[in-house]
Amino acid sequence: MEDRVRVVIAEDSVLLREGLTRLLTDRGHDVVAGVGDAEALVKTVAELDAEDALPDVVVADVRMPPTHTDEGIRAAVRLRRDHPGMGVLVLSQYVEEQYATELLAGSTTGVGYLLKDRVAEVREFLDAVVRVARGGTALDPEVVAQLLGRSRKQDVLAGLTPREREVLGLMAEGRTNSAVAKQLVVSDGAVEKHVGNIFMKLGLSPSDGDHRRVLAVLTYLRS
Amino acid sequence: MAHGNGVWRVVRGPFAGRTWREFGYLITGFPLGLLYFGLTVAGLAIGAGLLVTFLGVPLLAGVLAMGRGFGRVERARVRGLLGGRVGEPAPIRARKPGAFPAMGAVLKSGSAWRHVLYPVLHFPWAVFGFTLALVFWVCGWALLLYPLYFWAFPAFADQPGLIVFQNDGYAFYLDSPAAIAATAAAGLALTLATPWVIRALTTVDRVLVTSLLGPSRLDSRVSELESDRGAVVDTAAADLRRIERDLHDGAQARLVALAMDLGLAKEKLAEDPRSAARMVDEAHGEVKTALRELRDLARGIHPAVLTDRGLDAALSSVASRCAVPVKVAVELPERPSASVEGIAYFTVSELLQNVSKHARARTASVDVWRSGDRLLLQVTDDGRGGADARAGTGLAGLAGRLDAVDGALAVDSPAGGGTTVTAEVPWRA
Repeated sequence: MEDRVRVVIAEDSVLLREGLTRLLTDRGHDVVAGVGDAEALVKTVAELDAEDALPDVVVADVRMPPTHTDEGIRAAVRLRRDHPGMGVLVLSQYVEEQYATELLAGSTTGVGYLLKDRVAEVREFLDAVVRVARGGTALDPEVVAQLLGRSRKQDVLAGLTPREREVLGLMAEGRTNSAVAKQLVVSDGAVEKHVGNIFMKLGLSPSDGDHRRVLAVLTYLRS
Repeated sequence: MAHGNGVWRVVRGPFAGRTWREFGYLITGFPLGLLYFGLTVAGLAIGAGLLVTFLGVPLLAGVLAMGRGFGRVERARVRGLLGGRVGEPAPIRARKPGAFPAMGAVLKSGSAWRHVLYPVLHFPWAVFGFTLALVFWVCGWALLLYPLYFWAFPAFADQPGLIVFQNDGYAFYLDSPAAIAATAAAGLALTLATPWVIRALTTVDRVLVTSLLGPSRLDSRVSELESDRGAVVDTAAADLRRIERDLHDGAQARLVALAMDLGLAKEKLAEDPRSAARMVDEAHGEVKTALRELRDLARGIHPAVLTDRGLDAALSSVASRCAVPVKVAVELPERPSASVEGIAYFTVSELLQNVSKHARARTASVDVWRSGDRLLLQVTDDGRGGADARAGTGLAGLAGRLDAVDGALAVDSPAGGGTTVTAEVPWRA
């Protein structure tokens, strides 16, 4: 299968770690390692890298031993710095815009930050894992909502139509045009038109690649 | 001390470090007292005189602030030289920022006015103490050492010895061996008495400083309550963190896993109904576990039976979950307030958890009764003993939490002899 990816899971709850493993292997993905804390995660990835077997994506919990605070985020930031080619998807019981900003600092390629509950939507979750593994972005709708709410460009955002805001949100989550079209049940052409309008209203130059588009949108919202 | 008797203490007295420090306190007290008195009285007089102009109020506030400064020096002197314990008075806090509210706060502070009263009362006493201490000390040593220098009188002063009185043509000199010996004896008596005189004088000083420059009784109680409140707030915050942790690690994780299983089952429903059914079955088990965890957690936050039926019923249910058989006896004429019941419940519950985990006991008992305005809780087991309220964080934490509500905890736990923990809580109906 073309969409098969190699995954390392870091999650301290054995129950969830096994659940995630089952979910991923069931769809033919390859879970190469499962660890219970951030230190083991960094070590395992380094070992795999030394064997020239870097995973495509790491799925990590935010709260892990020993302090049960933000080890996952710190490990993710470090992994992204040390292994730029690898995707990092962070799962969390709560999503915080602050953590997202730390995670996205630098680049938005191959990174994801999702609420843990999203695993219930199996297909969407697996899509997100593959997207991040392929260098894409997966941001939780809640993070996007927080980013939109905190943005200092409120007057410009207010100029968007409700549909355009919807499209902007889905775009910021990291979805491709066709994924957005499927979600909103409209044609690809209609989405392209909306995207064009949005970029014009925000004063951004329309760029071609999906990744760069997400980057442009996020940079805009955070500035 | 090797010679624990009084004679040794009397002989050692004049040389003891404590005596010298107290003597130093009295000697320095005079010039300092003069300074405080002069500045304070002059400041008050000028300030009061200028009250009709706008300069008076700031000047008075300045004098009061100066008094607080003097107070700091005096407290340091008492701590350093007399070894007394004097607390710092409560700082003066203005309700609003700015110079005028600060001035108003100083002028309204009782403690600041007590600080101004101090130089006025202290000065006469400092003069008296200084004089008396110096006279005793100088005369004592001078007379005691008289046998060593009485030859100096005929040689330099042209008289046979120290003169006691002189009348027309008659004078009494201390020149016979008996008189010299008597003089030295008197000197010895004075020297030995000096430490006691000094002690008596500094005792008054100590009282003056603690009563006028220390925290008022209200201040002391307030700071005690502030620290208790801090402990209560910390406990509440720690409890909230624990509950959040329990939810995060327990029910939340289980529900996420459950959602995952059901999501997967939903995907499989069409293509592979058999494994979908197995997944639903597993999910069903997960739900039941999650429900049990939530129930335990909710009971840990507040047991419903405690509100409905009171301590007796609630403690029976705690006792039934203990690892060893527990006999519960609750003898209360009426129910205390809900907060007292809560404290009693969680105290017993934690103590029984300790019995389950550490005591290796065969049986345990819980007794609850009222004595006057206290509610008493006693948990006894026949286990291995050796529990220490200071070493274990559990018992120490419990003691701290009881202390914060004016309660107390006593642990009697000889090694191998079982453990009896008695807790008391103020009774409130």
